[in-house]
Amino acid sequence: MLDFLYLNGWGAFVMVLLMAVPFAVVFTYVIHKKTVVDQGPAATLPDKISQIEIGWIALVLVVFVGVNLYSISYMPTARTANALASGQDIQQVDLTARSWSYEISNRTVKAGTPVRFSGKSADTMHGFAIYHPDGDVLFTMMLMPGLEGSTSIIHTFDEPGIYTIRCLEYCGLAHHAMRDQLTVVQNDG
Amino acid sequence: MLSATTIIQKIPLFGGMFSVDRSTGLEEINSWPALMILTSFIWLAVAGLLGVAMPLVQLLGINTNLFYMSLTAHGAALAFPFVFQLMIGVGLHRLGSCVGKPITGPIPALIYIFMNLGAALLTVAILMGLNISLVTMFPLPVVGVMTGQWSMNALIIGFSGIALVLITMIVLYPVQVIRMSFFEERREDLLLSERSLKDPGMLGMVLSALVLLVAGIPLLIVASAILGALYGIIPMAAIGWATKPVVFQFVFFIFAHNLMEAMALMVISAVYATLPLYLADGTRKLYSDKLANLALWILLLTSVTSFLHHFITLFPNMPAYMAYHGNIMSFGTGVGAALSIFTILATVWKHGLRMAPGLAAILVGFVLYILDGASAVVTSNVAWAYQLHGTMWQSGHTMTVLVSMSLMWMGVLYHHYPVITGREIDEKLGNLFVKFCSVGVIGAALVMLAGGSAGMPRRFADWGQGGWMGYGNLILIFGLIIGIAYIIYAMSLIKSRNLPAATNY
Repeated sequence: MLDFLYLNGWGAFVMVLLMAVPFAVVFTYVIHKKTVVDQGPAATLPDKISQIEIGWIALVLVVFVGVNLYSISYMPTARTANALASGQDIQQVDLTARSWSYEISNRTVKAGTPVRFSGKSADTMHGFAIYHPDGDVLFTMMLMPGLEGSTSIIHTFDEPGIYTIRCLEYCGLAHHAMRDQLTVVQNDG
Repeated sequence: MLSATTIIQKIPLFGGMFSVDRSTGLEEINSWPALMILTSFIWLAVAGLLGVAMPLVQLLGINTNLFYMSLTAHGAALAFPFVFQLMIGVGLHRLGSCVGKPITGPIPALIYIFMNLGAALLTVAILMGLNISLVTMFPLPVVGVMTGQWSMNALIIGFSGIALVLITMIVLYPVQVIRMSFFEERREDLLLSERSLKDPGMLGMVLSALVLLVAGIPLLIVASAILGALYGIIPMAAIGWATKPVVFQFVFFIFAHNLMEAMALMVISAVYATLPLYLADGTRKLYSDKLANLALWILLLTSVTSFLHHFITLFPNMPAYMAYHGNIMSFGTGVGAALSIFTILATVWKHGLRMAPGLAAILVGFVLYILDGASAVVTSNVAWAYQLHGTMWQSGHTMTVLVSMSLMWMGVLYHHYPVITGREIDEKLGNLFVKFCSVGVIGAALVMLAGGSAGMPRRFADWGQGGWMGYGNLILIFGLIIGIAYIIYAMSLIKSRNLPAATNY
């Protein structure tokens, strides 16, 4: 369940619905009740409203803290740190983006072994997003020109296949044509 | 001041919707705001046509350059000369009537001229080929000249337009608000509903002006240096610091992010001011002014540094701790929103509500604003940002925040319309507008968020590439519904009727 929530764009969509739908229902109920059903002042005691106020704020804080705490282990930045700390072999892929193509040092990597993607831009802002063969975005990186260091992330592919690379930062009139491929093969070792 | 009234009378169709009532002696708080509001709706018509053009270009398989042209022009027209100008117009009218100060003199005239001339110049540049998207994407404007995508002339005209718009938002408007809030003599004849800075309905307006001034100055300095070099006034070698992409991007987003938050502060403040006027028991008080003010302060303090969430995927060039900080501060703005939700619902629960089209638009706009807030905090989380950044999710967020805020302002305008024009809107059409707008915006927002979840890139001229055309079709349908809603809104003003002679403001 948590894997779906945090590792998939649709998980984010579900999270928005989980936050927004209860709010919309309660909001609509209160407005309907106090404009159509009973327009008069409520008999609710002030103490009761204060209790609801404290309960509501506590609920919001618990949800917000919970959502962010649970997300830590799914953050690509945290996963990168963990991969580095584990001492595992890491496959290296260097890339340079320029309008409207990528120079990629290695277009074939192995599944199950961490891959460090290190990217730079040679001209304007570009993106480097890897799409799973089923169409989901696995991760995206922002490549800003003029920086000394590379933008970098470590990712471990679970499955072999042909993965699509796309630029997700608008970079000019042929932005939509800036794409490439990465082949992930079975790790025989 | 009188010239603004005269200009309004000379504008066909729109002039009739906003002709100022000269019988009340309130022209000094009505004329410039009315002209700004009127002009903002002309820009809305332009933005609406361009918005529909985007999916149409894709569906019909027309030249992709036209898509990027529509995209840039639509965003530029919607964000600045429509939403921001509407906000300035309604906001200044509100401020004038709350503090009893006239909106006259050179600054309101300069606000109007700079905003519209700037937006017009930018539009001309876009038509000349400067297709740089709403957020400029620096150094793309310069790279585009070097790679022959557009001309240097287009770049200079476009940047001149952007500079005029920035001067309006960062200097002229905040100066006018500060001038009216803290200086000048109060005139009792212009005072319609007195408010002090302790009042949430005033606090947000002043805070937003200060945010724009403070957050915008760095961008104004950088943009001035670049423009000075483009004009040949400053040697190019002397502005190397300003043309570094990292410098431009950070000062841009410090401003752009806080611009949205400042607009939120201002509109929530207007909601706090308007809601009590519709309470069924005539109380005219919020559940708690302190809680309402606390929400505004939390929104202000958390939003200032939450702009860092725009750079989460730049790791490790932007260190992880800064990304986490942006993440946490973004959720902090959600705490402010939670307090606003409680204040509004507790007020309504306690005192009952008299529904009117203006209030309905405000409440629906608020619901959309919260829905958008949920999408914003989710995409600010580091884990989700890596899957959603650069997708249609972000476009959905931008569209929803702009439309929800404009919907709230259009509701507030319904409330102030009789004071400005001496006429009352057609209520039936007003209610119909709210219904159509609700369906259109909720539908468009959900489809765009869903498109982003499915990996559909934003600012992307080939939706067929990843099988995203279905989302595009739905965006077009809901976009047309929003367009119909705006036409109904215009009709509700065109069909407005004169107020009874004895109306007391």
